[in-house]
Amino acid sequence: KNCVSGGPAPDENSSMSRVMCVSAAAGVLSSSVEQKIYVELNETVPCVRLLNATHQIGCQSSISGDTGVLHVLETESDLDWILSSGPHPPYMVIMETAFFNRSVMMRMKNSSRVAGVAVIVSKTGLADNFSPHTTCPNQNTGVYSASYGSDLANCNVTMWNPLGNGLSYEDFAFPVFALKDENQTQVIRKCYQDHNLRVNGSAPQYPLCAMQLFSHMHAATDTVTCMRRTDLQNRFSINPEVLCDPLSDFNVWTSTRPLNNSAKGHAANESVVIAATRLDGRSFFWEQAPSAEGTVSGIVTLLATIQALSPVTQEAPPPRNIFFSFFQGEAFDYIGSSKMVYDMERNDFVIDLNNVHSMLEIGQVGLRRGRSLWMHSDPVSRQNKSVDTESAAAGLNLTVDQPSVSQPLPPSSFQRFLRVRGIPGLVLADHNTSFNNRYYESLYDDAENLNVTYPPDLSPDEQLVYETDAAKSLAEVATLVARSLYIQAGGEKKNLNNITADPKIWFLHQHVSDCVRLLWFLGSGPPQFYIGLGPRIHGPVHSVTRFVQYILANLTGTVTNLTESQCQNPSEVNTENKDLFSYFWVSGPASVNNTGEPFCRSASVRLSKAVSPAFELLEYGSPNYSIIPQSRWKSIRARIFPMLTLGVGVAVLLLSLLVTYFISSKAELLFSSARETPATTY
Amino acid sequence: MNLERIPNEEKLGLSRRYYLGGFAFLPFLWLVNVLWFFREAFLKPTYTEQPQIKSYVKKSALGLIVWVAVLTTWITIFQHFRAQWGEVGDYLSFTIPLGTA
Repeated sequence: KNCVSGGPAPDENSSMSRVMCVSAAAGVLSSSVEQKIYVELNETVPCVRLLNATHQIGCQSSISGDTGVLHVLETESDLDWILSSGPHPPYMVIMETAFFNRSVMMRMKNSSRVAGVAVIVSKTGLADNFSPHTTCPNQNTGVYSASYGSDLANCNVTMWNPLGNGLSYEDFAFPVFALKDENQTQVIRKCYQDHNLRVNGSAPQYPLCAMQLFSHMHAATDTVTCMRRTDLQNRFSINPEVLCDPLSDFNVWTSTRPLNNSAKGHAANESVVIAATRLDGRSFFWEQAPSAEGTVSGIVTLLATIQALSPVTQEAPPPRNIFFSFFQGEAFDYIGSSKMVYDMERNDFVIDLNNVHSMLEIGQVGLRRGRSLWMHSDPVSRQNKSVDTESAAAGLNLTVDQPSVSQPLPPSSFQRFLRVRGIPGLVLADHNTSFNNRYYESLYDDAENLNVTYPPDLSPDEQLVYETDAAKSLAEVATLVARSLYIQAGGEKKNLNNITADPKIWFLHQHVSDCVRLLWFLGSGPPQFYIGLGPRIHGPVHSVTRFVQYILANLTGTVTNLTESQCQNPSEVNTENKDLFSYFWVSGPASVNNTGEPFCRSASVRLSKAVSPAFELLEYGSPNYSIIPQSRWKSIRARIFPMLTLGVGVAVLLLSLLVTYFISSKAELLFSSARETPATTY
Repeated sequence: MNLERIPNEEKLGLSRRYYLGGFAFLPFLWLVNVLWFFREAFLKPTYTEQPQIKSYVKKSALGLIVWVAVLTTWITIFQHFRAQWGEVGDYLSFTIPLGTA
């Protein structure tokens, strides 16, 4: 017969409550136990995985992070210790700046004793050059191919980036992080020096300082595979996992005469001169691209050009329209320019290729040697009538030279236009044969690379208006470009002297973080020009793109007296034209007697989507367009902790099992309290 | 269920049902048949229905071995070659591991 008890006995009750109390206390204490063990490293930047038609590039970690014993790589003997002689593999390498080059990284890649790399980003020990990009940027998506200028293709004639080591395009099976914060690097170094240092050549003893890096990427193999798997997930899975996203953002364009945005296709009676530059950059690490010489020099020059041209084009408008465009995503096989050309071909843009008269592109123009600026053109389609720069250059402190006739165009958005139509055009650059930029598409292409220096005793506000040499140099280039564009658009030469660019526009680079804070951007430090993905934290548009858009609206727009609701719905107001202008509700300048009242500004500045046509056509293996998506991931973090051997863990486990057994066998003795006879029925 | 308290005819009926049921692509029924009736078939003293139960257990064991061989072979091939099969491998998979080929 079974015995049935009527309810829990009081002594069981008290032990239950005791157990619950202990577990509640454990729950409260467990988070601080984790904090006692792990030190989270917040100021790190990962390297992420990107894909293309045939390969995966970037870095990958294990799904539960990669752990290794810390070792700081400062000398060659450290390298031998890590790769062959150290007794505690795998190692997590803290790499000093001087060792971040191709030979060391490839040796790490081929070794099984390296769990991951954390690169210290600093200027001390920085080599004379460092470019992780390839030697021939965008070689397969430019205009030169087997069928067009085949002897000029693949950089046979000119190697544009000879200092490139191609690290950004290698596939690493371990995580690579960048340590940008000096304080955090000090924490790591201290942990290393306290525990992991070799004493007189003998190995350090446990406990050792270890680091764990998490950067597990979802995408693998190549773009076709990744998009196929994403598609399968979306169709057949209850909780779809997206594996990768195409790189996408927006191009910014404007024109001296407004174009009707709702009329797509060929614009009647419009002949347009395009002035273009790129808006993005990249580096080895995710979302890091200061790109001063590579990108900012072009952006600032074009903005200064626009500012210089706007009064003249109002007073004495030239016969042709001038179309200014900032292309996003050019580092990744010309995403923005290929999309715009594609739209033009399909009559899905405000103008089409028949409207385009010629094109002038601003390449890297910040590092001029002496006075010379180089005018690159395409030898295959060279038109006799080119852009007239002699009269434009008169009176300026620069000379415009032409490279040798057989030299191809450097990597530029103009090449995408040439692929489709033989438009006459030029690319202006500060280099003749190969780039002057020794840090092309790397973390170190910053203001210092452009020699932007201020006198030491200036306040930030004074720095804002100080004219550095770099600013003056770019202003000259901008003046030249503005005058050339005016002539190219058919304007009269007598107006040329009125076109001058203002060097003070240089404030954009150094202090853009101040201005951009007005535009909901909460970052700090110099802006980063990586294209990134679609939806973002602060809206659908990249902050730099938004910034350029608003600056252009400021430079070219007019103040209106619309109210906020009218500004958001200008079609209701019959004096305003939503097809020709876009309307921005902005806050005014803060000054002594004006608290910055917001107002409505109208400008003919627009954004156009910059995503590779291959993703719209669903041709993920297309050789004609950019097919570079970025992988998704769940969490990226880094932490350091003291590591003990497995033996200690096993010992603790066995001890705890013993204690549990002991306690449970003596439970009656240990947990007895005042006994009451339970009410039971039999 | 305790086999001790079931009459022998019912034991035979159970074993037969498990044996026949396994043909419906249910090899685990054969596994259960083998494990459950092993003692009845081979280790108990002889009784009338035992030879038939023995034959059912043997045939279930045979079918089980065939299934195990086929499944092991297929699983080994799939795990080894799925990455190389590309598109076909992805369409055959129920869950594809993230981040690896």
